[in-house]
Parts: sequence; C-alpha cells; structure tokens
Amino acid sequence: MLRVRGLTVAFGGPPVLENIDLDVKAGQFTSLIGPSGSGKTSILRAVTALLSPQTGTVDLDVPANDVGFLFQDDALLPWRTARQNVALGLRIRGIAPGPAAEKADRWLSLLGLDGFGDRYPRQLSGGQRKRVAIAQVLVLEPRLLLMDEPFASLDAIVRMRITEELLGWVEREHLTVLLVTHDLEEAISASDVVYVLSQGPSATIRARHEVNIARPRHVLGTRRDPMFAPLLERLWEDLS
Amino acid sequence: MKISSVAARRAAALILLIALWESASRLGWLDPFYMPAPSSVARVMMQLFAGGELWTHLGATFAAAFTGLAAGLVLGVGLGFAAALSPVLAELLEPVMVLLNAIPRVILAPLFVIWLGIGLASKVALALVLVSVLMFFAVYNGIREVDQRLVERIRTLGGGRRFLVREVYVPSVTAWVMGNLKVAVGFAFTGAVVGEFVASSRGLGYLLQFAQSTYNAGLTIALIVVIMAFVLLLFALSERLERRLLRWRQT
Ligand SMILES: Nc1ncnc2c1ncn2[C@@H]1O[C@H](COP(=O)(O)OP(=O)(O)OP(=O)(O)O)[C@@H](O)[C@H]1O
Ligand SMILES: [Mg+2]
Repeated sequence: MLRVRGLTVAFGGPPVLENIDLDVKAGQFTSLIGPSGSGKTSILRAVTALLSPQTGTVDLDVPANDVGFLFQDDALLPWRTARQNVALGLRIRGIAPGPAAEKADRWLSLLGLDGFGDRYPRQLSGGQRKRVAIAQVLVLEPRLLLMDEPFASLDAIVRMRITEELLGWVEREHLTVLLVTHDLEEAISASDVVYVLSQGPSATIRARHEVNIARPRHVLGTRRDPMFAPLLERLWEDLS
Repeated sequence: MKISSVAARRAAALILLIALWESASRLGWLDPFYMPAPSSVARVMMQLFAGGELWTHLGATFAAAFTGLAAGLVLGVGLGFAAALSPVLAELLEPVMVLLNAIPRVILAPLFVIWLGIGLASKVALALVLVSVLMFFAVYNGIREVDQRLVERIRTLGGGRRFLVREVYVPSVTAWVMGNLKVAVGFAFTGAVVGEFVASSRGLGYLLQFAQSTYNAGLTIALIVVIMAFVLLLFALSERLERRLLRWRQT
C-alpha cells in the first residue's frame, strides 16, 4: 500500500531524517514510535507530499484522495460548524450539501457527538474537537489512514474508548493504518507491525517488530497476551 | 450585570461632568464666547434640527461618507486580494500603499478639490482613499497570515484553489475586514467632513467651517456633538454586523 525508500529530509541544516525505509502493507495496522522531535510527523508529511524530501521515494498504490491524514493538532476551520467541518471533504468530492450533512451527522453521532453538529470549534472541548477531526477524516472512508498522535490530547477514558472503537472499525473494514504515537502500549495493542525511530538528528529506523497477537483484539485483552510484556520491554530498549 | 454597572458608572460620570460644566457657566467661571453652557449648546442643537436645514447637510455628509466607504471597501479589498495572489502586482502596489499609509492622507484634499470640484466627488474621493488604504492592508496582511495549517487541511482533504479561497481565504479576510470596519467608518466620516471643510457648499464640514469663520463656539460644539452621535450610532451598527458575521468567535 505504502512504500518509503531512502527518505532523507532536511530543513536547510543537517538532515532530520536519514535514509528511512518503511512499508505499510494493505490491510495491516502499522505503528511508528520514536522520541519527540525525531521526525515522525515529517515522515507523514513527506508521504502526503506536504513536504518534499531531499532524496528518496514514496510510492502509494492508492490515489491521493484515498489517503486520510489525521493531523497532530486539531485545527478545524473555526468559522465552520462541526457538521460543516466533517462534511468538508465530501463537499470537495462533489457531494451535494444535503447528503453530505446527513453523512456528517452519522459520523458525529458515531463518535459520541450527537447534537453537537451546530457548534463552532471554539464551543467544543479539546477532546470533542479531536473527535470532530477524526470524523472529518473517517467520513471519507479512506483506504489508507495516517494518524499523527491522534489520542494524545484525550483523557484516559475517552482515549480507551476511541482506540477500542477505531480498532474495531479498522478490523471490520480491513483498513490500512499508519499510526504515529508516543504510547508504546497503544502501539502494541493496535498494530501488526511497529517501527521504532531513533533519536534525531539524522533519525533512522532503528527496529521493526511484528506483533503476532490474534485478532479481533481488545485494548485490555492484548495486555494479558504473553507476547505483550516482552515486546514492550524490547521497545523500551530500542528507545533508550 | 457587570457590564451594565460599568455603563451606569460611565453615564453617571458623564452627567456629573455636564452638570459641573453647566454650573461653572452659570457661576460665570467660563466665558460663554469660548465655552458656552451645555444648555445653550442644546438650544443651538434644537434650532439646528428644528430648522430642517441640518438634514440636507447631514444628507450630504452621509452620502459622501457612505459612497466613499462602499467604494473604498470594494477597491481596498479587491486590490488586497489581487496583491496577495499576484506577486508582480504586490511589488508595484506595496510601495504606493505604504507611502499613502505613511502620509496624513487628508493632505490630498486640496488636490481632489482642484481635480473634482467642490461637489460630492472630491469628498467621496478623500473618504475612498482613507478607507481603501486601510482595507488594502487588512486584506493583504490577512491573506499572507492565513493559518497554514488550515491550508494544509484543505489540501489533504483534496481541495483545490476554489475551496481554499472559499473555505479559508474569504472567511479569514472577512474576519480582518470586520475587525477594521469601525475604523473604516470613522475614516469615511473623516474624509467626508475634512473634504467639506476644505471647500464645499453643503455638509456638516461646511457648517463647521461656517461656524468657525463666524467664531460661533456654540454652533461648533453642537455640530461636533451631532457628528459624534451619528458616528457612535454607526459604530454600534457595525459592531452588530461584526458580531453577526463573526458568530464563530464567541465561546
Ligand atoms: N518546517 C520546519 N522547519 C524547520 N525545522 C523543522 C520543521 N518541521 C520540523 N522541523 C524539525 O524537524 C524535527 C522533526 O520534527 P517532527 O515534527 O517531524 O518531529 P516529531 O517526531 O513529530 O515530534 P513530536 O513527537 O514532538 O511531534 C524537529 O527537530 C523539528 O524541529
Ligand atoms: Mg509530531
């Protein structure tokens, strides 16, 4: 689905990322973990062509319109309501306002935001805004979903619930996901493959681990799996 | 509750000030030639309104201010958009606008009278220049400082130029324009009144000029109060419009 080869990124100084190879296979959940400032966001930005790399290639075997990118910050259009924000991608794809609004409402209620459709982003809490941002991407039913620390700003309860929902959804829809996260346990619980990025500058892929825990998974259940604890330890070692 | 008590204190202070002024006048501490009492200013004002003549002058000033405001908004917003989208145009326009912004623009008034005569056109031109320079910078800077994260959102959702303009640029420019609307209203009136002051046969500026040349302090103060009252009324209206258009700002 996604193939990154020899990716090097620099912002006018020494390279931030050097020679990154990364594969995301169709139907798999892949996580990318790494210290703050190592270049995780930059990888996603290179994949979505928001940033042009010094060298290296990014091959996607789906059209750009089938890639959903959930940004690290939840900058919604402040002058559009939650519903309008969610419907935006549908409108861009030429869907009429009526059906687009209906679909947006369905996604809002799926994410527990029933009745919040008419609120402006300033009138929502941080967690609610995040969920609107998630709905804005998921409503387009992307085939490849890129997520940049989507749950960092959420409290533990909401975070657990959304992770669980997302996991179920990904498994049902056979969605391909690349998740950037700080949270090692979250990475293991959700993923088939975990990549570890080394500390920058000139960060590289330090390790690649496969997570052979049976699906369907549940966030809490995976922690009791015999694979979980040893893998967690390995990830800690990779990062230190 | 809090706001209304602030308003009440301000109103009380104003009334107190007027009362002091009135008593000072009655006690003979103020020379009525220079500083007539509030009551005599009020009388002059009543005569102005009752005479009916004031309305034609008010009408003339409003016509000049509003025409200049509307034309200045259109011109300033248009040029601002054009300059932000075309670097070549920006290169040419920016120094002109910076110069126009730096000088006290009312010095153009005599030139407009020579070019356009003492009628409405010269006042409109002055108001237009004042408003359009302000709006040019509001829009030009507004577009350049658009939140790049929002631009990226639209791009990654698949939106092209049309959606960028409609969903990001126009709303952020609207916010800038509305934020400057009150200043623009003030500028439009400055342009109209100063233009009339320089040369005209009608308008509040003309009346002011007449009052000054006859050393009529009462009429001058009355006119100043009238102009202030109307500008404040317009401020209130633009504030309403601002609040309506920028509803999303309220939390
Ligand atoms: N536009 C830019 N210009 C200059 N430097 C940049 C730019 N974007 C990122 N960087 C630098 O590149 C490095 C990697 O940034 P990036 O945002 O990819 O890190 P990250 O791994 O996502 O960090 P975090 O976990 O804190 O989000 C950082 O050192 C950052 O300062
Ligand atoms: Mg990041």
